[in-house]
Amino acid sequence: MATYNRTPQPAALPKTSILSALRATSMIESKTALPAEVIVSILDYLSVPDLMRFARTSSRMREMVYDDTRWVARLKNMGLWNDLEAKRRFEEAVRRKRDAAVRTAANGGSVSSADKEGITTIFDAAIEEERRLAAATQPPRQPDATTDGFETLSLSQSQSKSPMEDPTALLNILKNVRSVRGHARQEFGKVYGALAPFYFDLAQAKTHTEPVVFKVFRDPEKQAQMLSNLQVFSKCDWTDGWSQRVEKLSSMVTIFEGAVLREFEQGYEFWDVDGRMRRYAHVLYSLNGGSAATDLFIQKHPIFNDREALGNPIDCISQASPDDITLEPSRAFFELLLRKLNEQSSNIRRIFPQPAAVFWAFVDKVREDIIMEYATPLLDVTHDRHTAVYLKAMSGLFEQCMQFVQSLESPGGSNLSVEDHTRAICLKVFEPHMDLYLQEELENFTSYAERQVTDWEQKLSEQDATVESFYMGSFNRQADKNDFLSSFKKVVMMPVSVLPSAFGSSKPTPTVTATNPAFRSSIAGTPASSRPQTPGLGNPSERSGSPLPPEVPTDELKAKAALMANRLEGIKSLFSIEVALDLVHAAKESLGRAAKFVQLGGQVGEEAREQCEAIFVALIKVLGQTHVKNGFGKAVNHLSRYNPREISDHSQTAVVPLVMFIELVNVGDIISQMIDVFYEQQLAAPKIADKNDFMDPAGLAKRKFEQMLDESVAAGLNKGIDVLMDEVEYLCATTQLPTDYNPPPSSSHGNGLSNGSDIGPTITARRITELVSSHTKMLTGSTEKTMLDVFNGEVGLRLFTALCKHLKRQRISTEGAVSLIADMTMYFEYIRTLKNQDLLVYFKALRELSQIYLIDARHAKEMATIIADSDRFGGVFRAEEVYEYAERRADWYQVKRDVERAMYGLECQIM
Amino acid sequence: MSAENGPTIITLQSNDNHIIGVERAVAERSMLIKNMLEDLGESALNQTVPIPNVTEPVLRKVIEWCEHHKNDPPSTNEDELDNRKKTTDIDEWDQKFMQVDQEMLFEIILASNYLDIKPLLDVGCKTVANMIKGKSPEEIRKTFNITNDFTPEEEEQIRRENEWAEDR
Repeated sequence: MATYNRTPQPAALPKTSILSALRATSMIESKTALPAEVIVSILDYLSVPDLMRFARTSSRMREMVYDDTRWVARLKNMGLWNDLEAKRRFEEAVRRKRDAAVRTAANGGSVSSADKEGITTIFDAAIEEERRLAAATQPPRQPDATTDGFETLSLSQSQSKSPMEDPTALLNILKNVRSVRGHARQEFGKVYGALAPFYFDLAQAKTHTEPVVFKVFRDPEKQAQMLSNLQVFSKCDWTDGWSQRVEKLSSMVTIFEGAVLREFEQGYEFWDVDGRMRRYAHVLYSLNGGSAATDLFIQKHPIFNDREALGNPIDCISQASPDDITLEPSRAFFELLLRKLNEQSSNIRRIFPQPAAVFWAFVDKVREDIIMEYATPLLDVTHDRHTAVYLKAMSGLFEQCMQFVQSLESPGGSNLSVEDHTRAICLKVFEPHMDLYLQEELENFTSYAERQVTDWEQKLSEQDATVESFYMGSFNRQADKNDFLSSFKKVVMMPVSVLPSAFGSSKPTPTVTATNPAFRSSIAGTPASSRPQTPGLGNPSERSGSPLPPEVPTDELKAKAALMANRLEGIKSLFSIEVALDLVHAAKESLGRAAKFVQLGGQVGEEAREQCEAIFVALIKVLGQTHVKNGFGKAVNHLSRYNPREISDHSQTAVVPLVMFIELVNVGDIISQMIDVFYEQQLAAPKIADKNDFMDPAGLAKRKFEQMLDESVAAGLNKGIDVLMDEVEYLCATTQLPTDYNPPPSSSHGNGLSNGSDIGPTITARRITELVSSHTKMLTGSTEKTMLDVFNGEVGLRLFTALCKHLKRQRISTEGAVSLIADMTMYFEYIRTLKNQDLLVYFKALRELSQIYLIDARHAKEMATIIADSDRFGGVFRAEEVYEYAERRADWYQVKRDVERAMYGLECQIM
Repeated sequence: MSAENGPTIITLQSNDNHIIGVERAVAERSMLIKNMLEDLGESALNQTVPIPNVTEPVLRKVIEWCEHHKNDPPSTNEDELDNRKKTTDIDEWDQKFMQVDQEMLFEIILASNYLDIKPLLDVGCKTVANMIKGKSPEEIRKTFNITNDFTPEEEEQIRRENEWAEDR
């Protein structure tokens, strides 16, 4: 049929030359021809020997068989081909060849070889082809081989060497395979030549003693190596019947493994660490990674049998007082376990070729069977008994567990760091308890805080709230506060020692320190030093205190708190700094416990972090919303109810409710700063809360608290000024004697010289300045500067109006003017301390104004000019106003005519 | 598509003008026909599909195979190497099916190659591979009608090069 002749090729080609044969690269036949792609897929199903015979049929078939990708695929299947390496080699070869071509051209060397290299640099297969042809035609071409840029592949060498002659070389055959493009077939050939005989022999073997593998190689190490090689080799066997062969091989491997494992086990029973155990562990490792030996080692390890000896978790509860827990037994438990594991660590290092993997597998088993068995009942029991104990136990155990894992002496070579292992192990131990714990922690804290505040309030209402002593604010507030805050900070900086007693009592145990100082010191040496100090947060005095031993600040703080509380007795009825401190402490403890879990990372860590923030938010809520806000509310109430006329005792230079309020502002400020320090140290520094994230709940809560505080302060101050001015007016009205500015002429004449010291401010002025200044001073440093400025400005202005009003009620003689001027100067001096320019203008005018009283009645004209001179008063008083003040002169009716004439004289004349 | 009113019949025409009606599901074992039907849509269903490269006996043989395998799961074209490994063995029915003379075998392979019926092509290739197994180069040449363009020295050179692969 015509269709059978699809390739219109000439029936036969003259077999003259190889090159012409190459050109005619197609199958020639009279019958049906198969296209190349079909032949390629047929070749895929052929075994290696068949392939090679097929290659011999014609040059076209040889090309197909020799195609590099076919062999690369096989090498890849065995995991022996590395694309990167091949690429690198290829590029190197190209570069070297180019260099060589340039060199030979420059030397005018063998033209033929230079040409050849020049042409063939681009396509590797082509070079290979040409090289092969060249080698076939003229075998001894040594100089060319050196310049052609390829590593000389000693093909013939490897072929000539019978595997039986050099068995050890066979063991490493797989390691020596290189990835060279164009040479995959040769590389595969080496492997095949070495392993195929063993492989097919083994596949045909009837019993496990028969295969040549076990005859050629006598020691188990080499047998294992060889079997492992054969397993790799079996992966490139995909010709007919491969599944039976692979099955046979794996069953053979299983038999071998079983035998080796038995040896290992016997060694294990006799604890023959360096002998049989080590030897057979290595054998198993080279066979298939040695997981069987690892499993056996871990499963049969005696440590899991006598776990009772390590400790009973209930000891932690029974050895402590009721409703408490001591973690001393658990510490001892971890200590003992650590010692045992470190012993095992060295054993494992001696036995296994991959100690790290075995060790961590072992530790994981210990974690599952021993640590969890220990921790879980303890936590369950404590949870049933008492929440606080549960919380303590949880975080205490967690810390001990962390330290335990970190102190393990792991053999090197693990691809994970100790930290990763620690995290993984602790996570597995504590994950089941985490949710419950975090919830309990928050609830515990919130309920504690609320209870504390309500307790306090209840106690307060039981007391007679009307009995209020107060404190005079004459001490240096700023310094005291800083002092207090710095010691507070020291305490906050101190890490939470959850169970100071437990770790503290471990110190005198000599065995502990002797056996493992690192472990103990890692417990006692808390991460305090490693925690970075936030610079510029507080005053510099705190720096000097930081290296103190951690115990000192606690006591110091307590003393300071007591002192502070003592001084702030006056506001005891409003809110208590002690309560605040207590709450902050409780929060810190809770936070410190919960924060440990943050380092676990991942989802659990994130949950822990959120819970830490929640604790902080709860703290602020209880402290701010209920405690501080109520206090402020009460204080403002007190203020507004204040009426100076109802108070009989005015001997003190202070308005009681205002002082109280200002104290309150101070305390509020202290608390706010405490919160701030707390936030910085406990949340921001360990990265629990993100300071830059304005949506962060902790940051939001803190800002809200500060805002609330500011608002309360502002509202209170408003009231405070009213109250203060009431008091000023009251003082003016009650203490200013009519004779102060208008002394009876006789006395002034009679005592004029003897009372020389009297020239100076009157008692009223003195009392008023004292009163006002004591209040303004009290506020310094306790609120925001802007608010303080506003407050001072308001106080000054109100004082000014009060004084003006007061002045208009007086009658002033020329003699009295001296005291008035002295008074005004005193006010002026006081106002100057406020450093407020606007205010100063007013008081300057007032001072100037007071001078009109000094002018003798005879100089009415000058008086008139002064009255009319508005520049003199800096625009504060208009002439009419000054005139009004002038009316307050004692001798006004005598000088009135003159003054008026001088002022309006011109008009009169005209009239 | 209207698959409700019974199996649709596709008419195929071999190169020697024989008309063969085939169930659509069977015909679609051939990716060539399947893609063509998809491209042309409903209108193509009533037309005769010419198969210009395949003669009637071969076409019938191929259809026989397709009938038998019409319910095979569609082959997933994932890892070719793995696929090859899994399917090295030929199932019994296929072995019997392939017991034809070599000419017919080659024709089936060519037809399945043309019609793009991968599983059939694979079976054919495997059968051919089994034929090659254990044969000497000269026998292979004879079977496949390959012209030897090597000198005896060249052939010997190739043999020596691949000595490692020889059965011992």
